[in-house]
Amino acid sequence: MKWKRIFIVAQKEWREILRDRLFFTLAFVVPGVLMLLFGYGISLDVENLPFAVVDHDRSRLSRDYAYRFIESRYFDFKGYLDDERDVDPLLSDNVIRAAVIIPEHFEKRLLAGRPAAVQTLIDGTFPSRAQTTKSYVTAINNAVTMELVSRHLAEQDGKDMDRARKMLQPVGLQIRYLYNQSAKSIWSIAPSLLMVILMIAPPFLTAIGVVREKENGSIYNIYASTVSRGEFLIGKLAPYVIISTLNMTLLWVLAVQLYGAPFKGQLGFFLPASVLYLLCTTGIGLLISVFVRTQIAAIIVTVILTLVPAVLYSGFLIPIASLSGQAKITAHLIPAMYYTNIAVGSFLKGIGLEVLWGDLLVLAVYALIVFSAGFILFSKRPKA
Amino acid sequence: MNGHARSIPSSPRVWFQRVASLTVKELRQLYRDPILMLFILYAFTLDIYLAGSGVSLELKQARLFVQDHDRSTASRELIHRFRPPYFRFMGETADERGGIALLDRGEAMLVLDIPEHFEKRLLEDESADVLLLVDTTNSVLGFLASSYAAEIVSGYGMEVGMRRAGLGEDALERMPLIENQARVWFNPNQNNTWFMSLTELLNIITVLVVLLPAAALVREKERGTIEQLLVSPLSPFQIVLPKIAAMSAVILAGTALCLFSVLGAVFHLPFRGSLLFFFAVTALYVFTTAGLGVLAATFARNMAQVGMLTVLMVAPMLFLSGNWTPPEAMNRVMVFFMTLSPLHYFIDASFGILLKGAGLKLLWDDILAMALIGATVFGIGLWRFRRQFH
Repeated sequence: MKWKRIFIVAQKEWREILRDRLFFTLAFVVPGVLMLLFGYGISLDVENLPFAVVDHDRSRLSRDYAYRFIESRYFDFKGYLDDERDVDPLLSDNVIRAAVIIPEHFEKRLLAGRPAAVQTLIDGTFPSRAQTTKSYVTAINNAVTMELVSRHLAEQDGKDMDRARKMLQPVGLQIRYLYNQSAKSIWSIAPSLLMVILMIAPPFLTAIGVVREKENGSIYNIYASTVSRGEFLIGKLAPYVIISTLNMTLLWVLAVQLYGAPFKGQLGFFLPASVLYLLCTTGIGLLISVFVRTQIAAIIVTVILTLVPAVLYSGFLIPIASLSGQAKITAHLIPAMYYTNIAVGSFLKGIGLEVLWGDLLVLAVYALIVFSAGFILFSKRPKA
Repeated sequence: MNGHARSIPSSPRVWFQRVASLTVKELRQLYRDPILMLFILYAFTLDIYLAGSGVSLELKQARLFVQDHDRSTASRELIHRFRPPYFRFMGETADERGGIALLDRGEAMLVLDIPEHFEKRLLEDESADVLLLVDTTNSVLGFLASSYAAEIVSGYGMEVGMRRAGLGEDALERMPLIENQARVWFNPNQNNTWFMSLTELLNIITVLVVLLPAAALVREKERGTIEQLLVSPLSPFQIVLPKIAAMSAVILAGTALCLFSVLGAVFHLPFRGSLLFFFAVTALYVFTTAGLGVLAATFARNMAQVGMLTVLMVAPMLFLSGNWTPPEAMNRVMVFFMTLSPLHYFIDASFGILLKGAGLKLLWDDILAMALIGATVFGIGLWRFRRQFH
């Protein structure tokens, strides 16, 4: 292995990248755009939920009840409907996502001190949103019920309402949100965005870079040269690792400056760990490039093999604990999961090597394995 | 085109023959890239199966540790109420530091802290607070966990309160309670599989529909074979059309395969609307959105560029489709971009047809918007392509 040859291969690759202006620009633009897109475009907060009310009772209490939903910032009132049959087309057409139906005799029953039933119809196409919506409905409904019952008890026993309420609610729940005190989703997303984007971009650049030479035939120059395969691979991949490292720094700055995500950990730990992760994902690109012959195949294989797992199986949207079966296995097979622990830990939790050494070790072993596999499978003497 | 090419008489029959033979050539070329074919097959079957199974965005078995400083009947009764499917009791932890360490390592999502004298205070008609530490690194699940916890604690409190007031179990029948029955429509079991797998199918269609024609065009440019096509008696439209036709055919076949194997047979997705209608809409989407690929191909000189350009175009489409994040939760700029994305209308139409049983009467506006955007992009792409070679 001669450093001079490695340097020359890297220089040739770097020059080739630089001379393809559009490609060079896109190599930086794409990750940045993805960061903005994910940050501003994805919000898992359920707010301003469009809903309608069907009020068959048309009484003071039923209006009060509906008003509790109307005034909530989680709901966006679209109007009263006359009939339940009007609900279905509106839900189907995504005009509303929920409807509250108050039956007749609602007020009469409650004033007589008897239970009354109300129905809420929720659009269930996206189950997670339906679940959140349901929990809002329950919370509002419980608050109203608590008031009604304590008023009822107060009137019955001649106590004052505050005491009646205290009696009904003897156990208070105090909640402390950790790591993301305001439970803002942009904070919790920003560190994971680094993981997702660095899972997609480096393999993409690498796979195309190597397969391009294969498809165009320029790789025969390498096959026929004195450059060894180790020298070639290191020199070839180095520029892509450099580009990805720059991108990683850019993304970190965007996360901290633009999104205001808190960085509580140590940069001295986070940056090397991130570079290690980049090496893993670059290695994945290398492995893909060994198997495919055409660039179109390289592109499609990379997109399918990296984008889907990065979003679904990395702990980004869904915590690993709630994955089941083969999804959990997939999660452990890609480096994204381990880096998510490092990124989230460094940003939100402020922990470092003392806790995360295990994840770091996995990444190191991972990088070693993919590169060795790439090295072994790459041959200067292709069969075809 | 030059004058010589135009002088060759071109009847409609010849026109179709030319397009047909080029379409066959595209299909053959695709077929001869076995790894590509394998991955297209994988994308329409196993990938969608993987996305649909084993992924859930609900709160399920959230790991709960407890610091029980009271160790009384009351505290145990409260702890006992945190149970599956939402919670899973993992064990006890001695002190707050131990609890925080568990949260740090991600072994616990929740730590419930019950203070000393909890039971005593409740028996003495006083009120008592319990503390819940929630890991909100995933804000949605953190929120769901705390709202379920609030429900459990308030339900427990209500029972204690009733007992203290000397009211029996049946007292609830004589209270002005409002019972709100939430009914979830279109997906009553809140089956994530349907949402995830259908979303994944629409995403795969979108990725392939832009990438495949773009790549097919750029490959001809990169290898120089486009020169051969240009000196042949073919109009630019006749060069572009076979590529789109071939790729559309492959994608529609893949969609059919996915629909009948993974979605229908394995996941039992209820096809509430007309399948024929769904295929018609998909065909329209595939054909018009392929225009984006043509457009990308006119900007790129080589495959590397076209790959990056496609990611730049497709990623916003996938994530601003209104599927993960509905328009009401987006800011205005993003909503604007969303209305430009043909995928947004395609998703509305697909979920509408397959899950909600909607027909043309409800979906005509989505289909019209999709067609208009698609036709515009297609027109621009073709215009640029034509201009490049004149």
